[in-house]
Parts: sequence; C-alpha cells; structure tokens
Amino acid sequence: MTMLPERAPGARKMGLVIDLDTCVGCHACAVNCKEWNTGGEAGILPDYDKYGANPDGVWFNRIHSYETDSPQRSRTVNFPRSCLHCENPLCVTVCPTGASFKRAEDGIVLINTDICIGCKLCSWACPYGAREFDEDNGVMRKCTLCIDRIYNEALPEAEREPACVATCPAKARHFGDLADPASPVAKLVEERGGVDLLAELGYRPTNKYLPPRQAQIPSGPEETPAQPAPGVGGALLRLLDKALSR
Amino acid sequence: MRPAASILLLTTLTGFAYGLLAWLGLYAAAGAAGADRTLILIGVGLVIVLATAGLATSALHLGRRERAWRAFSQWRSSWLSREGVAALFTYPVTLAFVACVYRAPHAPLTRLLGAAATLAGLGTVYCTAMIYGSLKPIRQWHNRHTAPDYLIFALFSGGTLFALLHTVVIGTGAWPAALVALAAAVALLAKLAYWRHIDQQQPLATLASAIGMAHDTVVRPLDAPHFTENFVLREMGFQIARRHGMKLRRIALGLGFLLPLLLSLLGAAGGVPLVSSALAVACAALGLLTERWLFFAQATHVSALYYGRSV
Amino acid sequence: MSVKSVAHTTCYMCACRCGIKVHLEDGRLRYIEGNRDHPINRGVLCAKGSAGIMTALSPARLRGPLKRTGPRGSGTFEAISWEEALRLLTERLTAIRASDPNRLALFTGRDQSQSLTGHFARMFGTINFAAHGGFCSVNMAAAGLYSLGGAFWEFGEPDWEHARLFLLFGVAEDHDSNPIKLGLARLKARGAKIVSFNPVRTGYSAIADEFIAVTPGTDGLLVLALIHCLLEAGQIDTEFLVRYTNAHHLVIDQPGSAEHGLIARDAEGRPLAFDRTSGALVAAETLGIDPALVGRFTLPEGSAARPAFALLAERYSEPSYAPEAVAARCGVAATTIRRLAAQIAEAAFHQPVVLEQPWTDTAGRRHERMVGRPVAIHAMRGISAHSNGFHSCRAIHVLQMLLGAVDTPGSWRYKSPYPKPIPGGGPPGRTVGPPGTPLDAAPLGFPLGPEDLLVDAEGEALRLDRAFSWEAPLAIHGLMHMAIARAFEAGAQKIDTLFLFMSNMAWNSAMNPGETTRMLSATDEHGEYRIPFVVVADAFASETVAYADLVLPDTTYLERYDCISLLDRPIGSAHGPADAIRVPVLDPGRDVRPFQDVLIELAGRLGLADFTAAQGGPLYASYADYIVRHQRRPGIGPLAGFRGADGTAVGRGEPNPDQLRRYVQNGGFWSQHLPPQQLYYKFANRDYLLGAQQMGFIGSADPIVLQLYCEPLQRLRLAAEGHGPRVPPQRLRARIARYCDPLPIWYLPLEQSMSERSRYPLHAITQRPMAMYHSWGSQNAWLRQILPENRLYLHRELAAELGIEDEDWVWVESRTGRVKARARTMSGVNRHTVWTWNAVGKRAGAWGLKPDAPEFTRGFLLNHVISEFLPGSGADAPQSNSDPVTGQAAWFDLTVRLERCPPDSPDETAPRPGANPLRIKPRSEKPT
Repeated sequence: MTMLPERAPGARKMGLVIDLDTCVGCHACAVNCKEWNTGGEAGILPDYDKYGANPDGVWFNRIHSYETDSPQRSRTVNFPRSCLHCENPLCVTVCPTGASFKRAEDGIVLINTDICIGCKLCSWACPYGAREFDEDNGVMRKCTLCIDRIYNEALPEAEREPACVATCPAKARHFGDLADPASPVAKLVEERGGVDLLAELGYRPTNKYLPPRQAQIPSGPEETPAQPAPGVGGALLRLLDKALSR
Repeated sequence: MRPAASILLLTTLTGFAYGLLAWLGLYAAAGAAGADRTLILIGVGLVIVLATAGLATSALHLGRRERAWRAFSQWRSSWLSREGVAALFTYPVTLAFVACVYRAPHAPLTRLLGAAATLAGLGTVYCTAMIYGSLKPIRQWHNRHTAPDYLIFALFSGGTLFALLHTVVIGTGAWPAALVALAAAVALLAKLAYWRHIDQQQPLATLASAIGMAHDTVVRPLDAPHFTENFVLREMGFQIARRHGMKLRRIALGLGFLLPLLLSLLGAAGGVPLVSSALAVACAALGLLTERWLFFAQATHVSALYYGRSV
Repeated sequence: MSVKSVAHTTCYMCACRCGIKVHLEDGRLRYIEGNRDHPINRGVLCAKGSAGIMTALSPARLRGPLKRTGPRGSGTFEAISWEEALRLLTERLTAIRASDPNRLALFTGRDQSQSLTGHFARMFGTINFAAHGGFCSVNMAAAGLYSLGGAFWEFGEPDWEHARLFLLFGVAEDHDSNPIKLGLARLKARGAKIVSFNPVRTGYSAIADEFIAVTPGTDGLLVLALIHCLLEAGQIDTEFLVRYTNAHHLVIDQPGSAEHGLIARDAEGRPLAFDRTSGALVAAETLGIDPALVGRFTLPEGSAARPAFALLAERYSEPSYAPEAVAARCGVAATTIRRLAAQIAEAAFHQPVVLEQPWTDTAGRRHERMVGRPVAIHAMRGISAHSNGFHSCRAIHVLQMLLGAVDTPGSWRYKSPYPKPIPGGGPPGRTVGPPGTPLDAAPLGFPLGPEDLLVDAEGEALRLDRAFSWEAPLAIHGLMHMAIARAFEAGAQKIDTLFLFMSNMAWNSAMNPGETTRMLSATDEHGEYRIPFVVVADAFASETVAYADLVLPDTTYLERYDCISLLDRPIGSAHGPADAIRVPVLDPGRDVRPFQDVLIELAGRLGLADFTAAQGGPLYASYADYIVRHQRRPGIGPLAGFRGADGTAVGRGEPNPDQLRRYVQNGGFWSQHLPPQQLYYKFANRDYLLGAQQMGFIGSADPIVLQLYCEPLQRLRLAAEGHGPRVPPQRLRARIARYCDPLPIWYLPLEQSMSERSRYPLHAITQRPMAMYHSWGSQNAWLRQILPENRLYLHRELAAELGIEDEDWVWVESRTGRVKARARTMSGVNRHTVWTWNAVGKRAGAWGLKPDAPEFTRGFLLNHVISEFLPGSGADAPQSNSDPVTGQAAWFDLTVRLERCPPDSPDETAPRPGANPLRIKPRSEKPT
C-alpha cells in the first residue's frame, strides 16, 4: 500500500545520524553494506562488467567528497549518501504497485521486490538519488536499514544494527530511534545541531547529518603570540637555572 | 532526465490518441455524429490503435513486464497507477461511445458518451501529465505548466488527426483546420511560456543544502563515489549542451507548432486540404517527439546536485 | 536448509591485522565482519576488509605452480606439479648454498611472517634478506628505535583517551587504518584538537581542525622551528629530560679527536653528567643529582665536555631555525608556526593530564600520580618517504622528549612489547664459517658503529642492496627497492637466485618500472639472463609474475594458517601485548600452497638447521606445526598465548600442542591487559619492565634512556673523519660526515638538491586510497568500482596558471621521463604539489582484468617518472634514491613539471608497456 501509513502514537522512527565532522571518507560503510546485502534476504546486489571497462553495480550507500569554503574555514567534507527514510517519501506514494512502502511501526521505507515492476518512477521521486535499478532482476533496490539485522533475533543484541553502522571505523554513523527524544541519536542531533538534507523540498528525512565543527577542548592561544624581544634565550636560561632533581 | 524512447512514444502517441478521442467525442456531443458516422468509426479505430500502441510501448520501459497488471492497484496515491486505471477505463467508454454512434448517432446517450469519452481521454492525459507534474525533485516538471501543456498538446495533436480524417472522410476540412490552427497557436504560446518559465526558474536547491551545509558555504565536488557512470547519473544526470538544446527547441517549435499552424491556416483557407492536413499531422508528430525529448532532456533532477551538476 | 558457520581469523586485505568473523553458508563466503572482541579493530572493518569476498573470488588468483617457457616478461608458462617445482628449487638452492649462500637473495613484501623468512635466510646462510620496510617506513622505524626504543605505527600509538592536542605528520590513509580511525573518533568525541601537517587535505586531514599544507620534505624543518619557539619561550620539560633522556649526558667537545662528540663515560662505561649540587662529575644515572643542562666542563683526562642538551639548545636557537626563516621554504606562515608552538606549550604545560594512579620508577621511587603532557603525535609516510626522513622523524622525537610527551598520559605511547633497549637488538648477522653455516645473527639488525657494518676491506657493501654499508649504515629493513637494480648491476657472480614473495617489484613497488622490467629481462653477451633465476611466490597474477622463471602460487588469506607474532610485527597495544593467528576458512580448490608451508618444506629438503629433525628429514609438517612447536629461545615461540603443557603460561612456556585450538576458541587472538600502574612511563616503570623481562620482551629490566643525542651516528661520523680501523671509502666520507649527525638536521631532499629546480618546480607525491591496498585493490570487483582509474590532483590556482582544467590530459615530466595523467583540480593541496592515488594503474594483461579495463587505459603510475638512482651520481657508482642514513626509498622527493597535452591527444595514459597476460600450457596428464 503506497498511501503513507498513519503514524501510531509512540511509533518509532528508526534512522541514522551521520557525523560529517568525523567521516574520513573511507567507503567502509558502502562496501560492508554491499557485502551484507548482496547475500541478504533481498538477493544479490548486482555488479556489471566486473573486470572490464565500465565496472558498475548497485550500491545502497555511496560516498562523495566535497571541498567547502565558508566564511569561517575551508575543509574537505566526506559525505555518505543513502536512503533517508523520509517521513514524507514521495518515492512511496508514486509507486503504482504498492511495492514501495513505509512501515507504520518504525518508519522504514522498503521495496517489496516480489511485486516491483521496475518502472523507476520512485527513483525519479527521490531527490537524494537513493534508489537504484537492478538490471539483472528488473526491480528497484534501496537501503533497508538492514531490517534483516536490526530485528534479527539470531544475532546477539549488540549486533542488531545496520551493517554500515557496525563497520564504520570512524564511528561517524549512529543508529537509533529518532522519535524518542531521550535516545542517544536524538540527543546527538540536539547537541550537535543535526540537519535535514534538502529541507526545502519537504520530504522530512528521518536520517540527520551532523555538520563539521571545531575542536571543543581549548587549545591555547588562537592569536599568534608576540615574537619575544631580542635577547633570545632569556626564558630558557631562567628555566635552566632552576634546580632539578634526577 | 534520460529521454527513454518508450516513454517519448507513449506520451506522444497517447496524446494524439486521446486528443483525437476528445475531438471525436466533442464532435458527437455537439450532435454532429449523425452527419457521418464513418468519421467517428474510423477515428475511434485510430484512437484505439494509437493508444494501445502507446501503452504497449510504455511497457517496454518496465523491468518486469509480466507484473504490469499490478500497476492498477495504487490509484489512491500514484499518478502512474491512475494513468493506468484511466487508460483502462477509457476503453469501455470509448467502445460504448462508438457502439452508440453506430447504432444511434443522434441519441442523447451518444452525445453523453461522446462527452464521457472526451473526459476519459483527457483525464488519462492529465494523469500522464501529473506523473511528471507531481515530481518535486524536477523543477521543469513540477510546475503549473506541465498539466495544461499536456492537455493542450493532446488537443492540438489530436486535432491535426481529426482535421486529416475530416478531410479524408468528408472531403472538406476548413473548419477543423481553422480550429487546429487555433490550437497550434495556443500550444505554441504554451510551449514558449513553458520554456521561458524553466529558463527563469531558480534552482530548487543548492549543493550546500543537499549536503547539509550552511547557506553561505561554497561547495565544490572533489571526488564522486565511483568513477564510472551509475544508475542515478544515467537516469537522472542526463545533460545536453545549451547550444544543442536551443537548436532542438527551434526545430520543435518550427516543426511541431509553427508549420502545423501555417498548414492549418492554409487548409482553413481552402488550399490543398488533404496535403496540408496530412503534412500537419506529420509535422506535429515529429515536432512533438522533439518537444517531448526536450521535456526530458532539459529536465534536471535534484539528485544530480550530488554529482556537481547544475539543476 | 543451508549449513551456516562462523570462523574467527585475521584480515589480510591490508597490513592492519584486524580480527574478522567470516560467515560461511554451505562452504561459501557469505559475509565478513569485524570481530568486536579483537583488540585492533573492536568490531569495525574498513572497505578493503569488507570486500574480502571479492578478493577470494578474484580472477587473478593463481591456480598452480608455473615454469617459464617463453622469454621473461612474455607471460608464457607451463603448469607443473608442486613436486617438480620444489625439486627444481631445492636443486638450485642446494648448489648455491654449497658454494656461496649469499647468491640467494630472498626479499619478501608485505608479509607478516618475517620472523620465519628471516630465520630461513639466517639458517640458509645468506645475508641478502629483507622485507618491504626499506621502501615503506624504515625512516620511522630507525628514527624511533634509535631515539625512543619504540616507533610510530607498529611500536607506538597516541593516547587516544587523554590527548588534548593531536599532531599528525604526513599521515595519509595508510597504515594502522582502523585503529587510527577509531582513535580519531575518540578524539572527536572528546573534542580534542587535531592538526594535520600534510600537503594534501583528504581522509584524516579532511576532518582535522587545522590543516597545514606543508611543502613536501620540509616537515623536519617545521618541527625544528617549533622546537626553536619552545626553547625561546623556555617551554620544555627539563625534569623529564634529566630523568628519562640523555640530555644531561656530557658530550666530549674536542674537535678533531677520535672521541669528539662521543658521550663521556666513567671507568665502568657509565655516561657522565655534571651535578650542580656537588659541583662534580658523576655518573649520569645517579639519583638525586641536579644535573647541568648547559655549560662546559672539563673531564678528568682534560678534554672539555658539554651536556647534550646544550648542543641541542645552541643549534636550534639559531636564527636560521626561527619561524620567519623557514616559513617560505615550508609553505607555512611564521605566525602560524608561532601560534602552533604556543598551543603545543599550552596543552603540554598548562593543561596536563593527571591520573591519580601511583607507580614506581626503576629507582624504586613511588610516584603518587601520573602526570601527562597531552600532546600526542603520529607520523607516517609523508615523513618517512623522503631522503631527509630519518632526521625529520628524529626531530619529531626530540620535540616529544623536550615536551616530556613520551609514554605519559595524553601523549604518544609505546605498544607492547615496546619499549626495547635503544636500539632494540644486536647488529645484523654476518657470514661466519664455510658455506652452509648459518649467519651469526638474524640478517637484519641494529648497527651501533662502524664495526657492525657489513662491508669488505675496502669499505664496500657486502649485501646486494648495500644495506648496512656506508651508503646506508642504519638500513635496518634493507633496501628492497634496490634489489633488482643491484642484482642486474652485479650479475651472476654475486647473485644467482632472486626469490621474491608477495611484492610487486616489476610494477608499483618499483621505482621506474620500465627500467626495472628491462633489467629483469636483460641478457648478457652469452644470451643468459643477467639475473640468472627469478622465483616469485604470490597468490595473484601480478605484473611481477610474468618475469618469474618459477612461480609458487600462494593461497589467499582465507585459505591458510598464519601467526601475527610478537617476534615479528605484533598487534600489541599500549594496554598490553597481543598476538593472533589466521586459520584456513576456505578450501582453495586450486593447486596452491601457503608460502610459509612451502618455505618450511624447502628448508627441510635443504636440511637447514632448526628446520631439520635430529634424525634427518623435515622437522615441521607445516607452518601450523612450526607456529606451535618452534622455539626461538627456550620457552619463546611464535605465539605468546596459551603456552605450557596446560596452556596457562603466557610469554614463556613449553610449546602447547593444543595452542592453535585455544586461539580459535579465543576468537583467533590472545591479549593481555597490563595493570594500571604499568600503563605509562614504561621506559622507567619498574613493574612494567620486570614484567616485560619475564615475558621475554627485553633482556633486562634496566631503565631505557631516551636518546635525545644519538651517539651511534657520531661513531659513524668519526670514521668518516678518518678515525678508527673501519672508515668509509673516500667517495662517501663527506656524505657520512654530513648526514650522520647525532642531533636532527634538516636538508633539502637529495634529489631536489641535485636536480634543476627551475625546470621541475612542483613536488609530486602519491597516497594510498583508503579503499585500496597497493596493487591488490584492482582485482576486486567492488573496490575497483570506487577507483578503476586515478587522477592527478593539483591546486586550482596552479591549474589556472598552467591553463589546465578538470579532466584535461597532462604530461607529468621529471628528469627521467614523463607520464600522461588526467587532471583534477582542488583547493586543499599545497600550492606547489601535485599528487595521485598510488598503484591504481596496471599493466595490461595483469590482475585478471579485461584488456580495456580503465586500470590499463587511463590509470597511471607516478613510479614511471621516479628513478631509483640519484641524478648525476655517476655511472660507475650510482647512488640510490634513498635516505643516506637508513636507505629508505625516497618516493616523495620527486619533482616534476606539468604540461597540458594537445586537445587531440588520445584518451589514454602513456607509457603503456605492452600487455603480458599469462599464457599457461596445461600440465600433461601423465601419471607421476
């Protein structure tokens, strides 16, 4: 059913918080996602021309890098991009078959590949480029928030998180219930000023991104200290005059 | 957006078909069906052939054609589903209409069914238009032009067919040609207004907002995630050079609207009606295919921002 | 119902050695994830590790032993049996060993079994052994081991929990990748400040709070300027210096004498210091003295002496080290350098980390708390891969010592089993006795003076690669990058068999691959190959395989046993020692064998001591057997955990036949946590040192005195001045005298001082992409989607100046050649530096890729324009492009110029040497 579900009071909003201040752009999340999902319940994520001229394939998560100049500073920003599990997912409502759907209980947006007809309209409806077409199976594919991990009772509790989160070496990815203001992810968003991507389009993404920031521990003078007056070494000599004890 | 041949054919063919159906329906609704049933019978036959061909072509676009029937289920939210339902609904209405025309061309029911067929056909066109018009990430589609333009182009292109049929079947075509000239002029103005609109539109978003940076941040792409083209870029990052686009616009404008306008005026004035109305159909078909190609090719998708494309 | 299982083993998609859980379904790989209990990666896994499945399925995997049938480089082979391969090799090596064992040169790449391969070489009796350290990071290792008794990366780590200011020098996405990322996350979580000194702002530098786009090769100068500022401001930890370093040791000041610059010692050989309380010369180690750090004193025999610190302070207080004097050269504003120095001092001295943890020093004094200097430093390839890298790295260690920021809370810390006495082992092994006698020590060691060098009567190198000679006296990892060039040069008299393992020496591991492959296939006047016999052991069809006479196919990392041993490059951390194993998870299904198994079988066939049973015949059935039963010293074997008959002993203990099973039960590794009182000040922490001695890490529990002043270098320098029985050849004397300075110096990288700077004004460097590991990435169907070709990155302003736009083809020209690359502009790069990802370009035909793969057509190797020889160094005695102290390959000294290609230039890179895909004649099916 592609009508958006009524959100039950107290329903969870599971999603990711991605820390752009910490992401080093290593692609670990993207590859581990590919690995988990290619053998997962939804079937192989295809690769095309694996060893040839145009290697390509379906990925649920792709890592861009940008250079940014703001009035404060310049920096390089690594940016992982995947489905944001929007609260207002046009990708779901445009689906003619009901293959795309948003779950009422946790807000996860999924594709039922058994009934998808591969019309690609959902990919047109997503401003984030999060849906990709599986040429081998003629259906659309997207991030499942590792639904086959997060509720998998065969896994130890600590491992019930998306593969991208579990594997992230820089701990730049966090998973949790964003509807619960007391959850660690909601607190992170609150403390760090987490933002929506393309907020102006009104999709109300569940996933949030934490913008880059400056170090929090004071690191001493931000201004250049005055160059000591001539008579260099005075301070050192005074220091060396002090008695020492080995 | 990548101009996929199947979709260009679908929208152009169904435009012709349902536009023609509207003309035939209105013709009957106006009580003119009795004058010559043949026109409507042949016309409806053409509508069914063209619409079916268009719909069949569109199935080529699907990854899983055998599941196409599932597309009729989500009419409550999906314009694509509604398009399917509307197209399906149009068949019985059209058949009932043509049956009535055959049996009782003067009956009020026939006139009613003529109006209903018009609405069903144009309704289908409207659904098609709204598939595009509802897509927020594509500013060239998600605007107040898309739906009216599709209807106008359908009426215009269907009109050229109607004028041709009228000329062939009845022998004269002056008044239809005059109406088509009017439709062509409206279509031409609508298209110009559309181009003017999208050329002046502000981008929907900036790369800074796409990656969650403050608005005063200048963002330049450094490295894309993967080196080779991927689905998003192929499907939604389609680009044509501005100069090339302008050339195609002139072709679409001249071939699709201006020539049919002139030919229809010629027909309306009584000059070589068969030749002029036939040429008008051919020009409109080629021109509208070009126009439709541009409608896709010049549409930009917000997701291409991530790859440093301007949208 | 499918059969599912999970195996714990160790990753080998790079050298990080992360613990992994491998999920199998019906015997097929399903999923590889990080092991949450593992001390290295704590559950995380990088892109490479996560792509292990595709490497296990790589089309480049070799399928069986090969014997060359066509010319070298043609790739034409016939498949042979293992029996034939081993017989061939045994015959050849037996003959070599009987005449001159040094005619076997065994060079291994990024393997993690050097304690085995080195031991094989020692028992075989060849000095010609090295691993890849010489072209990787020997500058770091040597500078660290000779200064601190530990080093960056493998022997040390920042105190991620307590550092407030973290300085990264020349660290790209290489080495210790997951631990550094985990550490950065912890710094970020606490809000510590990260400063990255790097010409390129990607990866870790991208998330640094401050990025300093230093000019390549000038980091050492920048650090000396920071030292200048700290001295100027009196911001140094003198208490730390006199307690833990040799700052107060008196250095003989008698220019021209044979003792000049050596540490003054008393009759027992103990260094002397001047006690300001008693006004007398006393043993520097005496407790309670107030040692002078400046001044000039007269020794009993009449010569003058000054504290080492005085020499240091005098040198770096010179105006030539002032920020204003170095700013232009380093590409960093003087005000920035001064501000950074002030921030360093602020963090170290005004925000100390105090842990309420008592500890006891080696003098038996109890300290109530641990006071730390929370300035942590990590440095890597950008420091190491320059010909001035040894001294640059020493400069960083001197900075750490001046701050008292060595193994204290918040600073850089030793990883167990380090620290070791400085330096950490005996001299390199040498040939003793008739052919076939083992060397007297392991082939790689730590020279302390001229007497330890491997040189002949004329002072010329004995080793093929000239390590431990006057050309590279402290080449503690050898000079693998010179092995082929020197073997070609020396000819068959010196070398018969060049045995390479797991290193792509004909391509991305070679400077100048074009010349290297020419040398590999060059013949003499009789039509015989200049390098008579080349054996390559590798799991994959690398470029080098095509140049082998005999190919020994290795398994992938998921198909064999291995040990990550404390005898080699362990996985210990500051929290305690650890080691690990690999276990076979997959059945290879190919006629391949683990290299280590093959080496052990070969050793048995050759009858090498330590590998042969008393009654004759091989001592070990396999590497797994060796791992369990081999004892390097009584009770000490490759694995430290679960020793003793009942598996309860750690460190020392009888071999335990059940050891591997115990490791498997424990998740594939063993680790031990040090008690809190042993976690810092390990160089002088009594409890720690006693424990380390018990474990067999160190021979004695004496304090380890940090070497601000590096006396072994002065011994070499005195020889260059003509003192002593062993002196350098005349042509190298000035060089030794200049570069063997006991205090850090900075000099222009050698190549730059010898080449035409106005013609080649740009620096060119490479870095390793985070998702690739050297040549291995491109065979991986997932990783190559990320990076199937590379770009040459340059600053936007430089590009504008040269009229270069994104995606333009440009010629990158150096003094030795040119390579065609596609440009990409950016702003986060030093204005005068261009760079690219390393090892993406491949030779057509290699790595199982199709002929039109972008790796062949557009990917390029910067190596094509790097020479292994310095310019103008003479055809008779060409000098290697290496650090003159350690022999470290100076990859990053390269300078180039750029020129835009004409617009009609074909859309492909150049040079593109002809393809050499493997063409293998199948084995005839005759019964054996």
